[in-house]
Amino acid sequence: MNLLDTLQITASGLTAQRLRLQTVASNMANARTTRTEEGGPYKKQLPILQAVQDDPFGSDLEQAMSQVEIMGVVESNEPPVMVHDPGHPDADEQGYVAYPNVNVLEEMVDLMTTARTYEANANVLEVTEGMASNALEIGR
Amino acid sequence: MNITGVGAPRIPIQEPRAGEGVGSVGGSAGVGPKGGFADKLAEAVDKVSEQQLTADDKLSKLASGEDTDLHGTMIALEEADITLRTMVAVRDKVVGAYQEIMNMSI
Repeated sequence: MNLLDTLQITASGLTAQRLRLQTVASNMANARTTRTEEGGPYKKQLPILQAVQDDPFGSDLEQAMSQVEIMGVVESNEPPVMVHDPGHPDADEQGYVAYPNVNVLEEMVDLMTTARTYEANANVLEVTEGMASNALEIGR
Repeated sequence: MNITGVGAPRIPIQEPRAGEGVGSVGGSAGVGPKGGFADKLAEAVDKVSEQQLTADDKLSKLASGEDTDLHGTMIALEEADITLRTMVAVRDKVVGAYQEIMNMSI
C-alpha cells in the first residue's frame, strides 16, 4: 500500500532526526570535556545521513523515493580550542588547555533545526493519516 | 489500536476455508478456488492480523522499557489502524453487496 510506504519513509526521517538530537546532546554535554579515553579533549560528533532508494527494483516513481539512513557518526576535524589556563591540570608546558572543538551556539542552531525537521516529518505523518482516512470515507 | 490487548495470547485471525461462503463467488466466475476472492481476502486478513501483532509487540516492548522507539511504535500503531479500517471498509462493502442481492424481490 503506497500510503504505508510513505509512513516508512517518514519513520526513517524521524529516526535520523532523533540521531541528530543525540549527537547534539553528546556535543553539548561534553562542551568542556578535556579528557577522553583516547586522550586529548572531546571531539565534536557529526552524524552522516544518506539517502537510500526505497525500492531499487520498482517503477521509476518508486526508484525516485528514498528513505534516509544513518551511515554513521564521525568526529569533526576542526582543531581544539586552546585556552590559556596554567592552573588547569590538563594544561601543556605553555599553560594552554585544549578544549573541545564544540561551539555551543552552533549546537543550539543544530538543535533548533533538528526539532523543526522532526516536527515537519511528524506533520507529514499526520497528513498521510488524514489522506488514508479521507480515502476510506469515499462512498460512505 | 489493539485487538488482542497487551500480553494477551496471540492467535492470528483464522482464515476462511477456500471454496466456502464468499469463495464460491470467485469459483463460479471460472477463476477456480485457488486465487479466488476468498484467498485474497484471507491473505488481506492475515496481513492486517500481522500488523496488529507487530504493533502489539512494539507497544509491550515500549511499555516494559525494553525498547524506546517512540515514533516507531506510534507508526506501527498507525499502520495497524489504517489496515484495520481498510479491512472494515472492504467488509462493509461486501456485506452491503450481499444484502443488496439477498433483499432482491423475485
